[in-house]
Amino acid sequence: MTGVGGLLRFMLRRERFALPWWLLGACLLVLVQSTQSQNLYDTPEDLAKLRQSIGGNTAVIAMSGPPRLLENIGGEVVFEIFAFVSIVVALMNMFLIGRHTRADEESGRAELVRSARIGRRATLAAALTLACLANLAVGLLAFAAATGTSLPVSGSALFAAAITAVGMVFAALTAVAAQVFENTRVAYGAVALTLGGAYVLRAAGDVGNGALSWVSPIGWGQRTFPYVENRWWPLLIPVAVVTLLGTVAAALLERRDFAAGLVRPRPGPAAASAALGSPLGLAWRLQRASLAGWAAGLFLLGAAYGSIGDSIEQYVADNPEVADFLPGGAADIVNSYLALTAMTLALVTGAYVVVAALRARGEETSGRAEPVLATATSRAAWLASHLTVAVAGSAAVLAAAGLGEGLAYGLTVSDAGQVPRLIGVALGYLPAVLVLAAVVILSIGWLPRVAAALAWVVFGYCAVIALFADSFDIPSWLQRASPFAHTPQAPLDPLTATPLLIVGAVAAALAISGYAGLRRRDLGY
Amino acid sequence: MSAQSGAAIDIAGLTKAFGRAKALDGLDLTVESGQVHGFLGPNGSGKTTTIRILLGLLRADGGTVRMLGGDPWRDAVALHRRLAYVPGDVNLWPNITGGEVIDLLGRMRGGLDRARRDELLERFDLDPRKKARTYSKGNRQKVALVAALASDAELLLLDEPTSGLDPLMEAQFQQCIHKVKQEGRTVLLSSHILAEVEALCDRVSIIRLGRTVESGTLGELRHLTRTSIAVETAQPLTGIDTLPGVHDLVLEDHHARFDVDTAELDEVVRRLAPLGVRSLISTPPTLEEMFLRHYGDEENATANANAS
Repeated sequence: MTGVGGLLRFMLRRERFALPWWLLGACLLVLVQSTQSQNLYDTPEDLAKLRQSIGGNTAVIAMSGPPRLLENIGGEVVFEIFAFVSIVVALMNMFLIGRHTRADEESGRAELVRSARIGRRATLAAALTLACLANLAVGLLAFAAATGTSLPVSGSALFAAAITAVGMVFAALTAVAAQVFENTRVAYGAVALTLGGAYVLRAAGDVGNGALSWVSPIGWGQRTFPYVENRWWPLLIPVAVVTLLGTVAAALLERRDFAAGLVRPRPGPAAASAALGSPLGLAWRLQRASLAGWAAGLFLLGAAYGSIGDSIEQYVADNPEVADFLPGGAADIVNSYLALTAMTLALVTGAYVVVAALRARGEETSGRAEPVLATATSRAAWLASHLTVAVAGSAAVLAAAGLGEGLAYGLTVSDAGQVPRLIGVALGYLPAVLVLAAVVILSIGWLPRVAAALAWVVFGYCAVIALFADSFDIPSWLQRASPFAHTPQAPLDPLTATPLLIVGAVAAALAISGYAGLRRRDLGY
Repeated sequence: MSAQSGAAIDIAGLTKAFGRAKALDGLDLTVESGQVHGFLGPNGSGKTTTIRILLGLLRADGGTVRMLGGDPWRDAVALHRRLAYVPGDVNLWPNITGGEVIDLLGRMRGGLDRARRDELLERFDLDPRKKARTYSKGNRQKVALVAALASDAELLLLDEPTSGLDPLMEAQFQQCIHKVKQEGRTVLLSSHILAEVEALCDRVSIIRLGRTVESGTLGELRHLTRTSIAVETAQPLTGIDTLPGVHDLVLEDHHARFDVDTAELDEVVRRLAPLGVRSLISTPPTLEEMFLRHYGDEENATANANAS
């Protein structure tokens, strides 16, 4: 354990840019939800109506939490936001632990550290301490956000403690995964799968008799019922699980070699298949797994949205305030709901396309583009290979999202025609999504060093405009700059070709300009 | 074709700056077709920058660069069909096997020789089924070497290709380069392993701080530097210290040890002969000595200047 203190200080220094954003994001979720809920349901009558309409709506319960929480306004906030805060905090812990343990070991950086006067367990202990500090910070911020928006103190303390507890479970789980798997991405995959499982299990439990919620870390947190029952004892489960997982991780660490996992990687093919012989073949090979993950994720998200499409009409009839958030008002409720969800699905696809297009820059900075560009591959062909996968990939992801929403909604209203209709609606956002890809190419061409930061800022801007423009007073010229604002909000508005073609042309122009920048600059810097 | 100009690579007055840092400061380099040319210099002297300019990855700030009769920046793709490259720091895609990488790079270059590929895998004792993530530095380097050597490229650009290889593999590498030379192909070999350069290279260029400080055959370079002499004569040795080009003289009556500028060697030997030479040991300068003389920091250079 020698050297934990020094390592911890070093880790905090490495995290000084990324970690604050995670903390801020989790805190903002609580803040926004608490403000919004208290505005929407400011009287006991409103809450009673909400309880009535949601009590029978399994889809909303499956997406949020146990309806028992809807007793008072504090509980309502927990009901709405706890699962999502849990997901954000779980991902924060996953990356935090993964980055400082397995990723460092894989890159070889940890070898240098371990050759110094540093104990074998020190890295793991320091990383878990770091996660602990981060989770305490998230708890404190959530507590401040809840009490700051005038929710009761005792419930807020439990709410915050429950978030911290869920975070620690995923920190300890990642610590175990980092011992088992040799590859960081595989470890992340395993933890993300567990997180998805935790969400689904608590959904099944909350809809059913509640038993399954007790095998989900998110369920443990929700079933403390902050503000409603304020019971602390369910948090004993995550405390026990964290202790157990921490012990298991330490024991596994003692039994494995440095840089090795418990699962040996299998050998692969000795020769390349016919498909792996061109820049495009390589880009496809590098991105196909990630594409499959995004498409599956958006299919499920689309299905989740689609499954409540039918009951939304009833829900809004009971809560007329909600209609204010839907474009088109209460008149065409289902269509405006579908339009809003299609836009949300398109935004998530926007995140995919940023990741996919940034892959080109990642290849360049890691030095892997160099041997490729030393072959008869032109810069144009190299860039086009990654861009092609991003473009075709985002079309596939949008189609998967539309298919999920269409299938689920079509099933609830017994109309197979919803499948092609909603796929069409989703694909209407392709030009807007491609503008994001083009912005990435533009910044890779002209401002490569800040390309990633710039691309995510533009994405964040689009997301804020799309989701909050109506709730906050954002000047209209600022709204008009987002490509998503120029896409007709189908199926509420008819999908017309002209705006799509114009947005598509903007995307093409940006991408071509980006290539012009790439053509004339030094590569690898 | 390059044969027309005679030089596969012709660089004159090449400059390149990154911000305020000057990486290349008037570099000259000529590599004749069919020769193995050694490219020596300390870390950070600009070897890799030069090779990246030759690959069209970096744009030259000034000077002229011709490679295989073309412009490396403008004609990059056409030229790349005719060359193969081994980077100094080989980064591979972690989830792709070594065999797949070799095929991929070969196909993107325009095809590779299947039989030669398999022979090279055997020769370098490389398991092509392992994912690149699991390879050591030496094995990653072998992947890049096999990919380059399995091609029919007329020019090989090798940036410290053997820095991670063991002596056995180093010997295999030298055999391969000998074969490449017999086939009349051209090699630019950047290296730190002087024995390797002495064994393989027809000509050598030494660069320092982005500038060429020496260039020529090993023989020519030796001529420019000092030869160590140990001599025993019948008559007492006198007047040696006043001879031009003699350095670091240690004199005891009939015995003397000193270094002499190779250009002055003839004059010194004429002066020794009348004294009745009983034994004479002449040691030509090793590449190491030339290397150290050029690389030695400014302090060292000043010290030498004062001594002479």
